[in-house]
Amino acid sequence: MITFENIDVVYPNGFKGLSNVNLQINKGEFVAIVGLSGAGKSTLIRTVNGLVPFTSGTLTVGDVVVDPRSKAKLRRLRSRVGMIFQSFNLVTRVSVLNNVLVGRSADTPTWRSLLGWYRAEDKELAFQSLERVGIVDKAYMRAASLSGGQQQRVAIARVLAQDPEVILADEPVASLDPPTAHKVMRDLRRIQQELGITTIVNMHHLDLARSYADRVIGMRAGEVVFDGPVEEATDEVIEQVYQRSLTAEDIVTAEATQE
Amino acid sequence: MVTTSTAERRAAPQAATVRPEPPRPSGLVYLGLAGLAVLAFIVFWVIQESGDVLLIPLGFVTLWAPLNPVIGLVVMLVALAVCFKARIGTMAAFGALAFIMMSYWAGATVGFTLLEIPERWSNVEPRLMAFLDPNWSYIWTVRDQWLITISMAVVATLVGCAIGLVLAMYASPVSSPNKGTSQTIKAVNSVIRSIPDVGWALLFVAFIGGTAHGLGPMAGILALLMFNIGIVAKLTSETIDAVNPGPVEAADASGATLTQRNRLAILPQVLPGFVSYGLYVFELNIRASAALGIVGVGGIGSAMMLQLNRFQFENVAAILIALIVVVLLVDMFSMYIRRKLL
Repeated sequence: MITFENIDVVYPNGFKGLSNVNLQINKGEFVAIVGLSGAGKSTLIRTVNGLVPFTSGTLTVGDVVVDPRSKAKLRRLRSRVGMIFQSFNLVTRVSVLNNVLVGRSADTPTWRSLLGWYRAEDKELAFQSLERVGIVDKAYMRAASLSGGQQQRVAIARVLAQDPEVILADEPVASLDPPTAHKVMRDLRRIQQELGITTIVNMHHLDLARSYADRVIGMRAGEVVFDGPVEEATDEVIEQVYQRSLTAEDIVTAEATQE
Repeated sequence: MVTTSTAERRAAPQAATVRPEPPRPSGLVYLGLAGLAVLAFIVFWVIQESGDVLLIPLGFVTLWAPLNPVIGLVVMLVALAVCFKARIGTMAAFGALAFIMMSYWAGATVGFTLLEIPERWSNVEPRLMAFLDPNWSYIWTVRDQWLITISMAVVATLVGCAIGLVLAMYASPVSSPNKGTSQTIKAVNSVIRSIPDVGWALLFVAFIGGTAHGLGPMAGILALLMFNIGIVAKLTSETIDAVNPGPVEAADASGATLTQRNRLAILPQVLPGFVSYGLYVFELNIRASAALGIVGVGGIGSAMMLQLNRFQFENVAAILIALIVVVLLVDMFSMYIRRKLL
């Protein structure tokens, strides 16, 4: 369970990223955050694992109160909170397996990381994660040689290797074409349901949010302006969030063909 | 008519349209620039040290001209006239003028002239002849010195690159623990780089003794080592500055420590560059060790120095030619590796 209590984020340049956010996200929920760019979606997600430190309020993840000033505490928190990015953020020059093993960092002694000599059980966990996203046969290929959709799956496997309680996904399908976007979202949904991992996803495509999430949070100017189950996130409500009428760009269309 | 021939399309606009001309630069500013040139000429005239005269022998008559300041003025005014004719902007013309003034001033200060070379020909000729007739067998005689040179280069490169990589990791703000560390390491690095390789060699020869004490190669390795650390740390830390920040953020987000994220997210990205810098300094080391011999560290440089002092120019020539060949070979080798790598 993740609890935001009166969370404010003020960036060093004075820009207010979040203002007075109060949220409660239950364990195992799949939450989609929608809003125009600059609305504070990324800031909200990055506050959870301390990549963006909040400036006031109280944030609890599970039974841990997040303290953005303590590096050691943040590392312990981050080991339980996985993150997926829009641009995949893989080290493209090294193998898929080594990318997935980055997810084992928190549980690996530094000297083992330095030598690249991982324990057998860590490798096994990495292989299992790759199996779960269906690309275990690519384990020893360079990450650069994979397609965008496959790279995002490697990123998901990297997160799974952390054995996380929470998955944060910042625009995970914004760089992908519509059929691939659906495939990756289906993977995320399946993993959330199979493993009961709390999943928070930022997105700007409404139809994806409606087809895969349990709950939709709408943001505007750093504030939460809508919070409710998918059924309540009608076009009228979202137009209120966006403060404009919906256009074709707000949907991704092209439902993926079944594999 | 939809299709027109190329010729028609080319010919059509010529008749009616007039293309815009480049704007004419302000004549007043150009006049001011000419005034500046005259001012510079007066200054140069006043500060010139000798009343040298340039003699241009043409066979039947000898032309003469007061050396330098007048030539400088003529060059400046001609340059301005050309700029004006070509309608070049006043700022660019000022740049050209400044370039001529600076190079004139610098050249005049050190007395740069090519006129003395013919006068010294009697001195140059015997040495040149010796250089053109190298003593080939001597190359093999100094093989031990070659071995020492290459060993010095290998050791200095390996150790220097290792230390340079660690320093680079602490010097770049992307990979260092905090801003203070990176600023400090950067300052230390600047000091290391500000002393040239020959300077380091002189220092170490003074500290631990040179060839005379049988410690030449030792001082040489230490000098090359400092030289390499400076170069590798600088280049690598700038490469680290430019890495893709995405994987670094991902490693942070998965709870990696600083060392882990530097190893897992940054090192793979900078590795090709780092290896290429290593090969580059290896090449530099071979070349530098020839110059370092002059200040008394071991290797091929000391052999060359010895022969120079004995006026054995044919031996020096042999060493120089061998040096060129060795450097070329190392260069080809490192180019091959780099191509495989990138």
